[in-house]
Formats: sequence, structure tokens, C-alpha cells
Amino acid sequence: MATTALLAAILEQTAPILLAALAAMITLRANILNVAVEGMMLVGAFVAIAVGAATGSAPLALLAALVASVLMSQLLALMTLGFSADFIVAGLGINLLAAGGSLFALEWFYQSPGGLRPLAFPDIWHVPAGSLGFLPVIGPALEGQSIIVLAAFLAVPLLAVFLYRTPLGAYLRAAGEDEHAARSAGIDVARMKALSLAISGLLAGLAGAQLSMDKLHFFLPDMTSGRGFIGLAATLFGGGQPWITAAASLLFGFFGALGDRLQAFSIPSQFVLMLPYLAAIIGLAVARWRAHVRSRPAKLNARRG
Amino acid sequence: MAGVLIGTLKAIRAPLAAILLTLALGFVLVAFITDDPVQAYRDLLFANFDSVGNFALFLNRATPLLLIALGVIFSFRAGIFNVGGEGQLYAGAIATTVIGVMLGGLSPLILFPLAVAGGILAGAFLGWIPATLKIRLGVDEVVTTLMLNIIVLLFTSYLSNQVIRDTASYGAVSQMLPASIWLPDLPGVRGATSGIIVALVLAGVTWLVLFRTEWGAQLRASGTNLRFAKSVGIPADRRIITAMLVAGGFGGLAGALYVLGIGHRFEQNFSPDYGLVGLTCALLARVHPIGAVATSIFYAMMINGAAYMQISTDVPRSLVDLLTGLLVLLMTARPKLKWGRS
Repeated sequence: MATTALLAAILEQTAPILLAALAAMITLRANILNVAVEGMMLVGAFVAIAVGAATGSAPLALLAALVASVLMSQLLALMTLGFSADFIVAGLGINLLAAGGSLFALEWFYQSPGGLRPLAFPDIWHVPAGSLGFLPVIGPALEGQSIIVLAAFLAVPLLAVFLYRTPLGAYLRAAGEDEHAARSAGIDVARMKALSLAISGLLAGLAGAQLSMDKLHFFLPDMTSGRGFIGLAATLFGGGQPWITAAASLLFGFFGALGDRLQAFSIPSQFVLMLPYLAAIIGLAVARWRAHVRSRPAKLNARRG
Repeated sequence: MAGVLIGTLKAIRAPLAAILLTLALGFVLVAFITDDPVQAYRDLLFANFDSVGNFALFLNRATPLLLIALGVIFSFRAGIFNVGGEGQLYAGAIATTVIGVMLGGLSPLILFPLAVAGGILAGAFLGWIPATLKIRLGVDEVVTTLMLNIIVLLFTSYLSNQVIRDTASYGAVSQMLPASIWLPDLPGVRGATSGIIVALVLAGVTWLVLFRTEWGAQLRASGTNLRFAKSVGIPADRRIITAMLVAGGFGGLAGALYVLGIGHRFEQNFSPDYGLVGLTCALLARVHPIGAVATSIFYAMMINGAAYMQISTDVPRSLVDLLTGLLVLLMTARPKLKWGRS
């Protein structure tokens, strides 16, 4: 049973990271380094709790969270694509706006700067206990997980099919790989980038909603605590490929779930938490180094053995 | 003379418009919340000058902001998009603290320069990593600096929680530095760090170096057009790496001066995102060191004034965070005549 518990913990830790990673991946394929995932997640987490507390309806809360984070992504699209703002600067602006805006709403509207803890909050749909008993190992681990966790793992094949098997996905990748060539082929590059940002907002909103709605039922100002950046790290490590990105997210989720257990071996938790970011830097450096070696003139290669 | 004035006005038009637009939006928001928006805005911007104490706190905010902005200017002028100000600041602060606490027995004449140098070197090392990865392998520096920020913050959290923690006080706070190496107060202003003088002098030095030396011209040439710079024989790679060493060093110095002059110890959450706000100041000033003095002062006024605004009116201080977000979002945007097809 310990394996099942660990597996369930890994799935739960992985889901928001995986969603954030996919959110960063889809824009990376359109040649946008999306540093705003963190902010869009935070908006999703906040709106989910605010709307859920006000309406008492979980589907409505989830929907509102998704709408809010997609709106944030389109605000970013408007500023960058419409008014040619810098993607990195404007993306960091989105993060600041999300953090500042949610804190401002907490202080002004709810008069509780520490966080938003509604007395009653509707439950989101979870996989009923005992319903997946026929599946060995993975079944029991999936029981009790929220619908968003399922959506996170379903999103991987869906996005892979979208990117590699649909015309729209091909256009999106073309817009990211060579803007000028894509434009001369008649692809509306700006629209493709805006679309990738919208999908990114949707996924980030799911990630945020999972954080606040699944078990906790409250919102804290620093709730996302860097998960958007872990997701970005996973994507960069995976080079924007859906399956490698998912594997990296699973690995980082595994480290997260293992974090507490590792402290028993007197490894400070901070060093475990560093691993995703170190992995991203090393992964990128190694990938670039290999490309570097491969593109070196043949003679040089021969001389160096 | 008039030409210079018009040139300056043109240069500051866009950032000024962004600031004014944000302040106007904020005013509308404040008018919704309180009956006295004028009072709130007066306190936000000018309560900093109501008393010596307020003024000192304001100067203490401006010092790290200006130093980080100057570092960012060096890196941006060399064409490196350095968003690692926060990490460089923390690296400098923790290095200075570790040296000050661990070697507290040394004579202050040795310890003080050692602590400052340690802070600068730690920041410079953090600038060197992304620069080398960029030059040697072409790894995107935005990613490395972003990731290094988080790595450094986790590392300082480890050090301040487990290694040099002051067990007598609450939270992740280091032991005090020996009082003999504290930076003296600014003469005449009690509680204000004299680090502000260092920062202001360095702003002038930065301008001189970047715009009045051959080295600075080569650095800027490497930043504006790398291939051109290389083909006319400028050692662009070396200039860029040095620029990032200097940029990191400025961030490290900001951390060192904070610890020596303001905090007198390391606190894990001492920075209200100085790194990102410093970057904002540099960009608002159109990456110009003298302009950065003005924008850093403006930002220090806002950050510090928010507290007075919250006390006197019921406008929450997080208004400034909200406005900063808007400002950063709008900052690099420029109105476009033609829509679509970018």
C-alpha cells in the first residue's frame, strides 16, 4: 500500500507541474519563452476560490478560473503582438500584475491579506473510491484524484496529436520555427502565437485551479510558489517535446513527493527543490553543446578524435 | 542646448508616458476605494519627505534599486538580457553575511574590504555563468538567469535557516554582523545608509565608462551589432563576459551594501523584488545610467510611500505591486499605426 500512496502523491505533485510545463511548451513551439505561466496559474487559483465561494458551484469556479487565465494570456498577446512589447518584460509584468492584483483584491475586497479561506467550498469531482480497482497499481493511485489530474495526463497525448497530426498544429510549429517562411506560406503568424498563448492560459488556469480547488479549498498569495517556473524548466529540459516534457514533469513531481522523505537522509529540502532548475540549465547546456559538436567542421572533429 | 533638451525629452517621452498612464490608472482605482484620493496620492509620493525618518527609509530603498539598475544597464548595453538581478543581489548579501559572521574576529580594517569584495565576487560569479554559457554554447541567458535566481534563493534559504541562523529570533534571519564593520549613516540623515553616495557616484562612473571610454564604446558595439563588432576587430566575446561580470558585481554590491548599511544581517525576505524593480527602472530609463537615477528615485518613493498611504487612507499598500505589474506590462509597448501583421 505504501507504493500506492507514494504513486498517488507523485501524481498529485506532478499534475500542476505537468500542466504548467505543457502551458510553457505550447508557446515554446510558437517561439515564445512564456515566463508568465506562474502569473496565469496564480490568477486561476485565485479566481477559482473567489467564484467557488461566491456561487457554491465547483464547475462554475473551474470555468471562471479558466476564463480568467485565458484572458490574462490574451492580455499578454495584445501587449506583445498588438503593441510589440517585449515578451519577457511583458510576461514578467503579467506575473507582477497577478501577484499584485490578487494581493490587492485580498486586502481591499476581502480585508484578509493573509489569504482567502471560505467557510464552505464546493467539492470538485474526484474519481470515486473503488471504481478503478480492476487496474493493478495505477488504479488505486488514481482513485481520489481530481478531474484536473486526469485532464493533465490526458493533455499530453492530446497536445501531441494537436501539434503533430493536425494542420493547425503544423501551422503553429511553422510559425515558431521560421516566422518569415511561415508568413510567405500564408500563415497568420500573430494569430498562431495568440492561439498558443490562449492554450497556454487554459492549461495554466487548470494548473492553478488544481492547486487551490483540489484539496486545500483556500487561496494563499504565494500559492503557486514557483511551480510555473518548474514547468518552464521541465519544458526546456524536454526541448519542447510533449512526451519528454511529461517525463521531466513526472521526474520533478517525483522529487517533490520524495522531498520530505529525503530529509531523513539529512539532505536539506532546499537542495532537492533546486534540482529542476539545475536540470533545466544543464539540460539546455548539454543540448546546445551536442548541437555545437555536431555542426563543427568534420576536420576539426577528426582532429579532436 | 535646445537640441539637447529636445533630444532628452524625446528619449524620456515613452517611459514618461508609461509612468503617467499607470499613475492615472492607479488614481482611478484609488478614487474608487477612498473618498480622498488626492491625499492618498500625496502620501504615496511625497510623505517620503515629511520627516527625516521617512526620508532615510526612502534613501535605503533607492540604494539597492539604483545599483541593480546600473548592473542591468551594463548587461543590456552589451546585448545580454539579464533578468538575474535578484539572484545577484541575494548572492552578494549572503556572501557578505557569511564572511562577516564567520570571520567576525578579524580586524575591521581587513574584514570590511573582505566582506565587500566577497559580495561583489559572489554577484559577479552569478553573472559569469549565464555569460559564459551564452558565449560558448549559445544557451539563452534569460532562462539561465531566471533559473539561477531561484537556485540562489533556495541556497540562501538553506544557509540562513540551517547554517548562520540567529536561533534567538523568529524566521530565517542570520546572526548580526559585528558592529565594527557597519557602514556609517549618511551624514545628517539618521538611519539612512551612506551607500546611496556610492550608488550615485557609480551612476556617474557608469555613464563615463559606457559613453566616454573606448572600452565602453566597444561594449556597446558588441551589444548593438555583434557581427559588425567582431568584423572590425573588437574582442566582443570578452567585452560581453566582462560586462556580465560587472553587472553581477553591481548586483552583488547592492546586496553587500544592504547587509552592511541597512539590515546589518541577512534576512531571507529582505528584498521586495528589488531585482525585477531594478530591471524596470533601467528599462524605464531607456538603459541610461543618469535616467536610472531618476527612475530609481521615483520607484523608491512609490515603494516606501505605499506604507504611509496605507496608514493615512484605507488604500492597501499592494496598490504599488498592482501598479508595478501594469507598468512593466505597458513599459516596452509602443503604439502601432498598423494593426495585425507584425
